[in-house]
Amino acid sequence: MSEHDEREIREALKQAFPPINRELGRDLWPAVLRKLAARPARPTRVPWYDWALIGVSAGVLLFFPQLILVFAYHL
Amino acid sequence: MDLLQRFALGEIDAFETLVRQFQGEVYGWIVRVVRDPGVAEDLTVETFWRMYRARTQFRAEGNFAGWARRIATNLALDHLKRRRPEQSLVDELAGEARPDPVLRREMREGIQRAFRGLPAKLQVAATLALVEERPYEEIAEALGTSVGAVKLRVFRAVRILRKRLDRFRSQDLVERT
Repeated sequence: MSEHDEREIREALKQAFPPINRELGRDLWPAVLRKLAARPARPTRVPWYDWALIGVSAGVLLFFPQLILVFAYHL
Repeated sequence: MDLLQRFALGEIDAFETLVRQFQGEVYGWIVRVVRDPGVAEDLTVETFWRMYRARTQFRAEGNFAGWARRIATNLALDHLKRRRPEQSLVDELAGEARPDPVLRREMREGIQRAFRGLPAKLQVAATLALVEERPYEEIAEALGTSVGAVKLRVFRAVRILRKRLDRFRSQDLVERT
């Protein structure tokens, strides 16, 4: 593929997709506020399965403390 | 405490100031990619909502505009993946800003169809680089990738479009003869 190809495609695309108005016509803050009210934006939570994994791992280590050495070796 | 620190702590007034300050820029970026003002407004609102949700991950000394552009680009990319090529073509023609006397309508439709048939990642890179002529560094930052990867995507997009347009032209020629 040559520079000529790229130039030709660039021109074809520019003609096929005429310039679009990039100016925002209205203030979007009220819409953002409505969305926040409808879907409260809480900071990202740790999913339940991560907590379950932590719980299972802690339980295993509690009953089989010698496994700590195995984990330490692999870390 | 500065504005970005207050935003990271969840102060709604600080967030409002930032939305009002950056909404034009974010909208302008999204509309370049999706080329539909209504969709671009919705995605701009979604961008700020996601930013507020992820505010604890934002470092106050970081680049707010760059972070916004990255989230906006991902949302625009998701939108293009969901959009059917036929639907987008109709939308594009309906929202046409000015008719072009040089390029025939069928040819324009052919190019638009070929372009909308590209994978979304190639569409975004090609739109920003070839149609909007944004610098590769800026595109790479928005896509969260390297300049080399953006150049590769543009190269692939041009190669695919070249083939499709050649095919379209040869079909057109056969129909005319």
